[in-house]
Amino acid sequence: MRPQRFDQARPFLTLGIVALVWLLVPAVVKRFARASFYELQAPGEVTAAGVRQLQEFWALRTRSADDLIAAGKQTADALAFYELSARQQEQLAAENERLRALLNLPADPGWHYEQARVVRRDFSAWWQQLIIRKGTDYHIPVGAPVVYAGGVAGRVREVGAHTSVVELISSPGLRLAAVVEGDTRPVSYQGGENPAFGASRGTVEYVPLDVITLIGAPRRLLTSGLGGVFPAGLPIGTLTHAEPAPDGLFKTGEVRLDPALSELTEVTVLVPLHPEETAPPVPAP
Amino acid sequence: MNHRLHPAVLLLLGNIILVTMVAQANHYLAAWQLHLWLGGLLVTPAALSARHRAGAAVVFLTGLAMDATSPVAFGTQALVLLAGHALVYTWRDRLARSEATAQAMAALTANLVTFLLLAVAESFTAPRPGGALGRLLADLVASQLVLALVAPWFCALQARLLAPAGGRDAN
Repeated sequence: MRPQRFDQARPFLTLGIVALVWLLVPAVVKRFARASFYELQAPGEVTAAGVRQLQEFWALRTRSADDLIAAGKQTADALAFYELSARQQEQLAAENERLRALLNLPADPGWHYEQARVVRRDFSAWWQQLIIRKGTDYHIPVGAPVVYAGGVAGRVREVGAHTSVVELISSPGLRLAAVVEGDTRPVSYQGGENPAFGASRGTVEYVPLDVITLIGAPRRLLTSGLGGVFPAGLPIGTLTHAEPAPDGLFKTGEVRLDPALSELTEVTVLVPLHPEETAPPVPAP
Repeated sequence: MNHRLHPAVLLLLGNIILVTMVAQANHYLAAWQLHLWLGGLLVTPAALSARHRAGAAVVFLTGLAMDATSPVAFGTQALVLLAGHALVYTWRDRLARSEATAQAMAALTANLVTFLLLAVAESFTAPRPGGALGRLLADLVASQLVLALVAPWFCALQARLLAPAGGRDAN
């Protein structure tokens, strides 16, 4: 009969051995195992999202004809507005191109817009990410910027065969170059704390001392375009306040992110037309 | 010829069901910036009803499946769950293993321990360790409440799944 003390210690001994062996497993094996586990779960995720969509469809079927007529009218109004906006956008793009040619500026890196539905939202205190329903089957590259109606959503961190993982701008690990609206000097944005039952927040560092934010008049934070990953001028959030940093050379501040970020159902991936001109991809953890 | 499935396979199946359901719950809870962690419930049936090696393998594989979709070092959650399994396994002889209350208490304790272990593991890579204590506390409270509600159901489900395979393993 084995001594009871050994029996008590056996699970912890096993844990120690497994942890030690796991540390010695080659990275390539871990990478292969991770990809295999990810791809095994992907059909389940997509099916669950499909079931949710079906649920929404049948819920909408219960609406009355009057509701549908009212919704159709609203859609027609919105469509008319967006058609006008699209024409203005075409004119501005043509003018932009003409001015660039006049000034001999390098051509703007082109993007191909790939709309994707959100399969799953995963917002913990340590990470904030989305799984979207497009992957290498739609040529989504790692590191591609992801946007939504309110501005920047995040960037693609991992790409599977039919799904991709998007790290959101609210994720504490995401950092990007930004500018305060009306200013050209770059600041450093990083995802911050995400309090329960509240809007996500981020932080900015290296804000010039002369950038002033007044209570009741917050300033928008936009992408700077530096680094080549995100196009310039996309909204990130609102700089609510900035205080001098301990070094006294710059300010640090807090950025309030759009609450809609935590309810996204559809996003757009900006797939670079000339991938060699964009920044190197973000390494997977 | 024996066509019965190995208990470990059935336990893994049960765990996959729970992981999928928690992922769906977290999808909806994202709107409130809440995140459920039910690691304690994933380890409890495996620790209380399976042989040590089979239970540990089930828990480790479940953790790897969770790691594959999370931005953590691959194996982090697997090792955290294995630690939870080791903890509950050492209690199993002193617990009334078939009682729902004992199972729920073991799951609650294991959940608290595994949550704290994950928080410590993530604090090494977090840009601002300890910067989200309020959020962690809210997630922990929500997770414990949900676990207390679903533990009797999940333990009963695992017992039902194991029944065709001959029920609980002796040791």
